[in-house]
Amino acid sequence: MSSKEFDIKINGETCSAKTGETVYEVAAREGIEIPTLCHDTRLEPAGACRVCLVEVKGQRRLEPGCAWKVSEGMEVTTESDRIERHRKVLYGLYLADHRLDDDGFPVETANDNQLRRLANETKPLDLHPVDAPRVGRPEDVNPYISFDPDLCILCARCTRYCDEVEAVNAITLSNRGSQTTIATAGMRGLLDTTCELCGGCIDTCPTGALVEKKSPDRLPADARKIRSTCNFCGVGCQLDLHVVGTNGDGRVVKITSPPPGETVNDGNLCVKGRFAYDFIHHEDRITEPLIRGEDGELHPASWDEAIAYAAEGLLKVKEKYGPDALGFVSSSRCTGEENYLMQKLSRAVYGTNNIHQCSAT
Amino acid sequence: MTNSIDEIREADLLFVTGSNTTEAHPIIAMEMKRAVQNGAKLIVSDPRKIWMADIADIHMQLRPGTDVWLLNAMAHVIITEGLADEEFIQKNTDGFENVRAAVAKYTPEEAEKVTGVPADDIRRSARMYATTKKAGIYYTLGITEHTHGTDNVYCLANLVLMTGHLGKRSAGMNPLRGQNNVQGANDSGASPIFYPGYQKVTDDEARVKFQEAWGVELSPNEGQNLNVMLKSVIKGTVRGLYVMGEDIVISEPNVSKLEVGLNENCEFLVCQEIFHNVTTRFADVVFPGSTFAEKDGVFTNSDRRVQRVRKAVDPPGNAREDWRILIDFAKASGYPMPDYASPAEIYDEMSALTPKVAGISHARLEDNVKGLQWPCPEPDHPGTPTLHMDGPLNGTAHFQAVEYRPSAELPDDEYPLVLSTGRILYHYNAATQTRRESGPVAKQNRNFIEINRKDARKLGIENGQIVQVVSRRGAVDAEVMVSPRMRIGCVWMPMHFAEARANILTNDAGDAVTQTGEYKVCAVRIEAGNGHSNGNG
Repeated sequence: MSSKEFDIKINGETCSAKTGETVYEVAAREGIEIPTLCHDTRLEPAGACRVCLVEVKGQRRLEPGCAWKVSEGMEVTTESDRIERHRKVLYGLYLADHRLDDDGFPVETANDNQLRRLANETKPLDLHPVDAPRVGRPEDVNPYISFDPDLCILCARCTRYCDEVEAVNAITLSNRGSQTTIATAGMRGLLDTTCELCGGCIDTCPTGALVEKKSPDRLPADARKIRSTCNFCGVGCQLDLHVVGTNGDGRVVKITSPPPGETVNDGNLCVKGRFAYDFIHHEDRITEPLIRGEDGELHPASWDEAIAYAAEGLLKVKEKYGPDALGFVSSSRCTGEENYLMQKLSRAVYGTNNIHQCSAT
Repeated sequence: MTNSIDEIREADLLFVTGSNTTEAHPIIAMEMKRAVQNGAKLIVSDPRKIWMADIADIHMQLRPGTDVWLLNAMAHVIITEGLADEEFIQKNTDGFENVRAAVAKYTPEEAEKVTGVPADDIRRSARMYATTKKAGIYYTLGITEHTHGTDNVYCLANLVLMTGHLGKRSAGMNPLRGQNNVQGANDSGASPIFYPGYQKVTDDEARVKFQEAWGVELSPNEGQNLNVMLKSVIKGTVRGLYVMGEDIVISEPNVSKLEVGLNENCEFLVCQEIFHNVTTRFADVVFPGSTFAEKDGVFTNSDRRVQRVRKAVDPPGNAREDWRILIDFAKASGYPMPDYASPAEIYDEMSALTPKVAGISHARLEDNVKGLQWPCPEPDHPGTPTLHMDGPLNGTAHFQAVEYRPSAELPDDEYPLVLSTGRILYHYNAATQTRRESGPVAKQNRNFIEINRKDARKLGIENGQIVQVVSRRGAVDAEVMVSPRMRIGCVWMPMHFAEARANILTNDAGDAVTQTGEYKVCAVRIEAGNGHSNGNG
């Protein structure tokens, strides 16, 4: 498609836009927030949740901003009495089919419930609750992903993510009418489907209907979020490590991706990056320096002892056979700085270029 | 990678070879899937019908180890059909005539006989690759883990150069690196032939620079790479080892010999680790190190992107950050290693000696959430997402004519099957981390051997049965996984399981240049053993 630049108006302001862009995209660039539940920049627009409806001059109906393509001279209104009335009804309908707390607001699980925030901003119409016969998969024993059908708004972000981004199609919308739910083939547990446990469905869910079994509760207010780089393969995904506790008893209790668009992984993680962090606090960690004794077993020692003993051991080999009888195996798992120190140790301290790591294997 | 990960989704053609991307690099695979959804063509060459093959336009399911034939035949088609980019070749390269002459006899029809790939598929692939502008090659260890791994890489480079797919976005030559910081470890000089930033240890000027910076005399001789070093342990010429964060006894080919060498010849072994592994069994001293969550520093990913690692929690018990251990060890060994206050200071020392990353610092990385890609020579340089944009960095790119050489160990009557090894999605290398995690363990917790239905039937073995896989070097148990992904005559085993190490079987015959072991091709046979089935498959 040839790309053409032109002006449109949003809320009376002139904005530049290009062929192929949506109202939502242009508005986002201009800093105009159009609320949405079903939209994710990684997915094709679905126009499913109807939260982002806007007025487009010349159109009789309200149109979904996430899917409506801009055209030259278009005039769009994102806030008006008509839109406000629409949202009151819409949120009222959602709330009638959603688990609510004692104050009548959407329940919040480990993850934010964006419907709760939107309902807080608008006074939704109070409608009689619907007891939709939507089923979950309570028997699913997979260790990571749980689904609460009473918090699902059927926006299909999870199923579309599973189709469009991860492309394994493990979950899908199934059944009809009020029975519609997020299902697997034959309602099997995720371990018995094509699911690769990437957890992208949890990440994209706007209401917290999908949560991590490893981290099912809301983190305390003083939990810290620390940006880092994944330690598995060479893609370099950025992570946010969620940490509770401080000084010595801090624990990593959850890992999430930075938002889409910010870093090389565009909001995505794989099963290892998102979930495989139990090793950090595992009881099998080596926590003391160890020296092999005369009995052939490793015994705990102080750092001073262990370091002195180790230096003596390698210096003795160097003395006896020369520096090139030593080998230093550095690690592609350690940091750049540690690799720098290891090669400096090999070259400057022990006098050999026998320094390498696994890169030739 | 010559190009960047975020260029993949804009590509018009992806040639994925020797890379099971969805399992080894899942997030790069997502970018590839997106490219295909956007209309990009996908060509896969792999002996297994991997996931990506399912969505490929063409899957060339070659016999393991016949890559040179396949790639030379593609070059043959490109040259004989006049699809080469003569202008690019003229301007930027030398040695093309040698390649033209060398590939003349590699016709697609002959290639079909050796590789098993239909000549027509080779022709179509070559044409599609040559005639698409934004066409990138993506490869990993399926290309390099051969006795002719370097030759395979040359063949790929020849294709890139003869089609001019270099110095353009969404094109290029893109090895996907296997570890979080394998790129960074090399960049930092953990290499027997290079100081940091690929400055040669044999270059007097570089050596003098580092001697002055570090205040000591340095050896002018190239060192031994890991494969040679470990063979020296076996021979008894290397007698002391300091091993940080690698399980050499699970990861290296033909490990039984190495175990003997460690027992008999290695007089002192220091291990720095987070968990006990097969190698720490041989250690004289074990230093408890730290995980990535317990220290500051940087990792450099496949697309040369330097990104921060940040300390989130303290190391457990008396374990320490690895950089602190190295400083103290150097001091105890009699060298005045500076008291760096933080990894930021260590990085500053390195970047001052390393032009490629001279413009990168921890402070700059705070402001650059996407990281900085080297070359980045100045503090105001934005980094380099795509290499060779203004022509080859070295001025001229060299073609290398390559002749096919068979793999070192081919199947015979005694060992009739070809074994390749590799990674699965749910585990990571020696799996000391992932086998302590419920999901990966639920998905796969025992060694398996993937085999074609016909071979399984011939051997009288069935899905879920435990068999013994035997090579000239040893034997391991594995559960049979009958799979439509396998070629007849080929079997595949993951490398992750310490109790059934694939590398007891693999051949340590090395590549002529890198000495990389032939993990992807060795000859095995399968013995049904006691034939008991293993229940839940």
